[in-house]
Amino acid sequence: MKEENTPESSPSLPGGLIPVDQWKLPEMSVQRTLKDAIRHLTAQLRAGISPEEEPFQSLDNLPSLTDKQIQHIAPHPDFTSLAQAVLESLDELRQSETLRREVAMVVAPPFSGLREALVRLPGLRGGSDAAESWHLIAPPDNLLMNREEARRWWDEQDLTGPWVIPELADFWLRHSSGFSLISELLRRIAAGQVGPGLVGCSSWCWQFWESYLPDAHLSPLTLAPLDGDRLGQWLEFLATSRDERAVTARMTDDGLYVLPVENPSDAEKRKHSGFLRDLATASRGIPGVALAIWQRSLRARPEDDMEEDPGNQKQGTRGRNCWVVPLDQLSLPAMPQSSDRSIGFILHALLLHDGLEAERITLVTGVGEPELELALSRLSRADVVGLGEASGRWHVTPLGYPTVRRHLQSWGYPVDAF
Amino acid sequence: MEDMGQGLEQAFSAITWVALVEAALVVGAAVLLIFLIQKLVPGLAGKLGGKARLYLLASVPLARLLIIVVTVIVVVPILVEPSFENMVAIFGALGLALGFAFKDYANSLIAGIVTLYEMPYRPGDWIEVEGQYGEVRSIGTRAAEIVTPDDTVVVIPHSTLWNALIANGNDGSDNLMCVAEFHLAPDHDVRRVMALLRDVAFASPYTKTMKPVVVVVANKSWGMTYRLKAYPLEPRDQFRFISDLTARGAEVLAADGLRFASVPVAAIA
Repeated sequence: MKEENTPESSPSLPGGLIPVDQWKLPEMSVQRTLKDAIRHLTAQLRAGISPEEEPFQSLDNLPSLTDKQIQHIAPHPDFTSLAQAVLESLDELRQSETLRREVAMVVAPPFSGLREALVRLPGLRGGSDAAESWHLIAPPDNLLMNREEARRWWDEQDLTGPWVIPELADFWLRHSSGFSLISELLRRIAAGQVGPGLVGCSSWCWQFWESYLPDAHLSPLTLAPLDGDRLGQWLEFLATSRDERAVTARMTDDGLYVLPVENPSDAEKRKHSGFLRDLATASRGIPGVALAIWQRSLRARPEDDMEEDPGNQKQGTRGRNCWVVPLDQLSLPAMPQSSDRSIGFILHALLLHDGLEAERITLVTGVGEPELELALSRLSRADVVGLGEASGRWHVTPLGYPTVRRHLQSWGYPVDAF
Repeated sequence: MEDMGQGLEQAFSAITWVALVEAALVVGAAVLLIFLIQKLVPGLAGKLGGKARLYLLASVPLARLLIIVVTVIVVVPILVEPSFENMVAIFGALGLALGFAFKDYANSLIAGIVTLYEMPYRPGDWIEVEGQYGEVRSIGTRAAEIVTPDDTVVVIPHSTLWNALIANGNDGSDNLMCVAEFHLAPDHDVRRVMALLRDVAFASPYTKTMKPVVVVVANKSWGMTYRLKAYPLEPRDQFRFISDLTARGAEVLAADGLRFASVPVAAIA
């Protein structure tokens, strides 16, 4: 997929930043579309027939990779590099006059890594704005305030120099007293009353605020979606980012190649699998979701020695081999069925706020405490939500996100545009 | 009339027991198929949400009509030779019988076919007919059934279509506007109240936020009447949605020191 105005992109951020209206869902084969539709329909019709939740299970007998092996073959991205790439992409968009505003608004679907990257901006060194370091704006503890209180709070913040809000969703609650902070900030940005800044925003949060303030035209940017080609390049980049050792990944069913994407110059022409395109579609082009599914689909063969061999002097030049299970053979998290609205309310609230503490879920959904605990327990057993140990916030899991989005859409909830 | 009688006698003279059994089997299979569709499809639709549910419900009467037409086309040649004279005799007799004995029934049957074509209501629609409001549960050959919010089934003959006003809340879509009313005592900041009530709608988890949220106000003799208009996630959520808006609105308005109007007895009278 090639968009207009796409600058030369960094391997950390394939495709760079693009205007939101240029974002397209990675193309999907007809076969994959039909399979997904049938799977979703049967999942809904199965409601009540199979009472047990279905957490992830592998439908093949090949051994999964150990955590150590996964950390070498499919590690999490370096968010500092991503932050650097975001800044470079913004500079290029400013030079090409695609971005003319002082404050850049970057909207991204969950698990894009934007929050993690922007949090690291204040510590970034050597960028084009190295002369002035970024100032992180953190949300107040109490988000329930009236307009006057919100005005006073923003007056106390230093918004003159380069400032950054890693996630706008942290600044509101879906409560009649929880809208003031973002309303006031967006008003100030639109009126040009703040200095240069960067605001990251979850696509779900942005979808709500676009409806709440339909006249707020802030020309948001977004991360280019990962289609099959970009996804392959990104996964290869991640695999080689630790120790420069290339990875060769082949399908377990037909032996077709997944990685490397390009044929080595000295090898005969290889046949490549359509796995990456299917993975791009299944993950909706979202890096974090694609990486989570990719990690689950990797397998080792029992006879393969995948561990580091300390005695091997040539390990720097030796590549790694692994196997990839087709998506059809992966049982991804399934949505627990419920006749009332509680589960939908909870999941929608978690996505709107990019994760919430249990007390705040009760506040924004009206779901009572005992009912909430039961629902969270069910969703947690099904691997659809998880509790962040450090943050104490519940959030949707990357593996569960595709099914959560699809179910919320079929239950009538407003969903994001990504 | 005498000719028609002779024609009928002639048409049915060739009917054999084998043909009767064969026709009965075809009719039985059709009845069974219709029964299964009417039982299973709404059950399946109940497990789905959004548009898929509405489409599946709307397919039931169309499938039934199709099965009836196919059954007639299959059964008639089994019983009688489909010549021009025989057809005139059979349909002439049928017309007379319907015209005299089953006039109202035939009226509803024909209106039922018109219903499938014009679609003034479909299964899943929320309609009001002659003071009865409810969700269309099924569209039968002669009548439609609606279920009221109090779980009472009301049977509405299709012939009502000819001369009654039918109000359809969602008209085949899953968008149904709901209105929560608030009656406030006068002497307050109207714009502030409108802003508060708009926030109330956006704060409700039932609200379909991509649809418009509107607050309108009217000046009454006892004070101001606010109407908060918004769309619930699904039409079947409408009563819980209005209750949620009313509860949240009352809480917010009370916290802001606003008083609800108590209507004087004279005004009610």
